[in-house]
Amino acid sequence: MIQFEAVKKTYVSGKQQVHALNGIDLTVETGEIYGVIGFSGAGKSSLIRTVNLLERPSTGRVLIHGEDISTLSARKIRDTRKDIGMIFQHFNLLNSKTVHHNIAMPLILAKTPKAEIDRKVAELLEFVGLADQAKKYPDQLSGGQKQRIGIARALATNPSILLCDEATSALDPQTTQSILDLLRRINQEYNITILLITHEMGVIREICDKVAVLEEGRVIEQGSVFEVFSNPQHATTKRFVRSVMNDELPDSLLEQIRHNDGTRPIYRVQFTGNSVGQPFMSRVSREFQLDLNVLFGNITELQGIPYGNLIVEFDGAHAEIDRALASIRNDNIQVEEVQQHAG
Amino acid sequence: MQVDQSQILEALWETLYMTGASFVFSLFIGLPLGILLVVTRKGHLLENEAVFNVLNIVINIFRSVPFIILMVAIIPLTRIIVGTSIGTAAAIVPLVFYAGPYIARLIENSLLEVDKGVIEAAQAMGASPGQIIFRFLIPEALSSLVLALTIAIVGLIGASAMAGAIGGGGLGDLAITYGYQRFDTLVMLLTVAILVVLVQGVQSLGNLMSRRVRRS
Repeated sequence: MIQFEAVKKTYVSGKQQVHALNGIDLTVETGEIYGVIGFSGAGKSSLIRTVNLLERPSTGRVLIHGEDISTLSARKIRDTRKDIGMIFQHFNLLNSKTVHHNIAMPLILAKTPKAEIDRKVAELLEFVGLADQAKKYPDQLSGGQKQRIGIARALATNPSILLCDEATSALDPQTTQSILDLLRRINQEYNITILLITHEMGVIREICDKVAVLEEGRVIEQGSVFEVFSNPQHATTKRFVRSVMNDELPDSLLEQIRHNDGTRPIYRVQFTGNSVGQPFMSRVSREFQLDLNVLFGNITELQGIPYGNLIVEFDGAHAEIDRALASIRNDNIQVEEVQQHAG
Repeated sequence: MQVDQSQILEALWETLYMTGASFVFSLFIGLPLGILLVVTRKGHLLENEAVFNVLNIVINIFRSVPFIILMVAIIPLTRIIVGTSIGTAAAIVPLVFYAGPYIARLIENSLLEVDKGVIEAAQAMGASPGQIIFRFLIPEALSSLVLALTIAIVGLIGASAMAGAIGGGGLGDLAITYGYQRFDTLVMLLTVAILVVLVQGVQSLGNLMSRRVRRS
């Protein structure tokens, strides 16, 4: 478990003070995959580095399994770091050493016997799917392979926490997907708590359980991935959600809406979880003498729960439409009228 | 030609001796200083403004004194260390004072090339400062360090030629006393040719070793 309590980080350069973190309160529960998203300069990088004290908080505390490690001696801090694996955007491997040596490094530092190291490295290489690459050097590998080596190295000391610092930001979409799959496996098979920072909402949607949105060193929104994606509150959060789930209406559609003068009102229908399974459209159409016309929509999955967003044109008598809307809302489906000028 | 083969061989030996011995001693001084210059700077492993500033200034002072002046200026110190202020052994002392700070700078330069991310990764995996220096910084910089030290050796071969001024002998001394002052063109050409071959050999060896240690 990782707890941030009123964490502030201020950098002083000359007479200027830069507030990278402005009072962060967050709790990452054991076994969770927690994502922190923000634009560059939001403070993500400083935040993740306070966990293993690569950065010391200026004020506030970071508790690892209930313990404030900033109060520990240098030696104890190093011991704690062995329980916190970290992977990086640019992998940070030793180019002068083989893949085997890179993965073995944390064990060499811990003075593990050689036979034990060889066994563990072989096991890790197998786990990340690079068993045949042990004798190669990092510059002979692709980006995705390098990140796998980084992951294997981070897991060498059997940590309980894994920190991912923009781990997929330098990778192409396909490789990103495979690395995310690997991270999910690590989380599930070893029950390792993962804290990741990213600027890609796709990463959050793909593997995170919870998400916090960071802006100017503050958490502006946090919650389960499902809550935040299905009902974003803050403008920045909405932008991030929109970057992976486009709910903006296309121009041609806006044109159409502008011309129908409210004779056939248009509604945005958002349904989640169980309501996806219901054939609400055909039911409403049958019960209320209405024609429903889907103009636009997408259905996706968040944390394994289906989530849909449809733009539907209702054609029929006003009284019938009102009754229909009441019936839909009764099924826990959100409906709101699409304004004719807005999107 | 006013010199015979044995004189040339002796001069070659003196040059090799002065260069070799002063290189080894300079490395003993320059390596730790170079490492200190890197790890004590701002934002680094063992940040320490006082140590860094003192080292920085002292090294600059030694680096700015012309070798010929340095050689004369530290004669009292040379006398304490070697017991005499003239001869080949006596020339090694000023050579070390000349090359030590130079090597410190070269090593600093090479170590600074190491990606900061690698150091961060080392810290994140719980490495101690000593482990970071010897298991991450130096291995990653080794190829570049070998090239830097090659430059230092070539520099020492050049500087040792001036050791004649305090009776240090060597090829440079031969070239000046016989080739230049006594107009013996053949000696001049011969000694310069040997120096050229020496420098070429050292540089080629350095390049080869640098490639070899790139992956270890």
